[in-house]
Amino acid sequence: MLKSLIAISSVLALLAGAVIFEHFFVQTNFVHFHEELTALYEKVDADEANVEDARAVRNAWEARKEQLQVFLPHNDVARVDLHLSEAVRLIGEGERSLALAKLETLLNLAATFPQAYRATPANIF
Amino acid sequence: MILVIIRTTIIYAVLLIVMRLMGKRQIGEMQPFELVITLLIAELACIPMADTSIPLLYGVVSVLAIFVLHELVTLLDLKVKPLKSLLSGKPSVVVNKNGIDDYQLKRNNLDVSDLIESLRTAGYFSLDCIDYALYESNGTFSALPKEDYEQMQTSLPLVIIDNGKFNGKNIAITGLEKQFFVDILRERGVKREKDVLVLTADGEGKMYLQVKGKKFHTFRVSYPDGKTW
Repeated sequence: MLKSLIAISSVLALLAGAVIFEHFFVQTNFVHFHEELTALYEKVDADEANVEDARAVRNAWEARKEQLQVFLPHNDVARVDLHLSEAVRLIGEGERSLALAKLETLLNLAATFPQAYRATPANIF
Repeated sequence: MILVIIRTTIIYAVLLIVMRLMGKRQIGEMQPFELVITLLIAELACIPMADTSIPLLYGVVSVLAIFVLHELVTLLDLKVKPLKSLLSGKPSVVVNKNGIDDYQLKRNNLDVSDLIESLRTAGYFSLDCIDYALYESNGTFSALPKEDYEQMQTSLPLVIIDNGKFNGKNIAITGLEKQFFVDILRERGVKREKDVLVLTADGEGKMYLQVKGKKFHTFRVSYPDGKTW
């Protein structure tokens, strides 16, 4: 009885801790990623961005994704990779409007990803 | 992660309810909540293992959630008596001193053939050699035999009428005519075969007759031409 109660409490505490950590970790990472993308978007929009700016955002994402992959489905991470690679190439080639479209997509992904892991009825069912 | 825990809890609860509704026949020597664990745990462990696009953490979290749910249900099952019957079910007395309880059989989705088969598996070949038989909550079968039950099992009884219907195959094994059994029913005051819950006959002429809603009785007959089987 006591052993069961200790086991239940320990695992519940572990799970609760993991849930809280995941919530803040994913949220914080995507907030920072969103800020970086917004800065890049504004630079591209003002025609001031170069390929190094885009690569800097990609490098920051690469560092972040190593840890995010522990919590997020790898396919979701791969979607960001794909759009980001295209955006870097388009910025490097000076395709401003196409790059802006890709960045818009990435901004949308960065804003909606954390919400997709919240315990809302729509996500549960 | 919270989604994984909530989804796991919902699936666990749904499976547990469905298992309880399906009844004892689907269980087979486990309590319903133990069977649910068995069904879920293998899948939960395997999917993240085989599919590399799913973080391994999802598998670990869902298995831990299942562990917590199982421990909670086990505690409730042991400590809260009213919940015990809700979670695990209750044993059903399917045979008592009056014979087969037709109502309990139907409640457990069983028929007379299933009961006789379960009796045979438990080592009792004749319905009259037991005082009580129970379908336990884990789907196993228990019986309380009469003191001298071994002496009563000298020949294999065949089911002649099962829930109002003649069993043609068994009648053929006896080598007797259907009319022979119809005549026996008439002699015993049974007008229609539909009223008979069970009629068995063994090779030495011992018959077990139970009319629906009435107490069983056993009697001996002589088969034509001294037939036995």
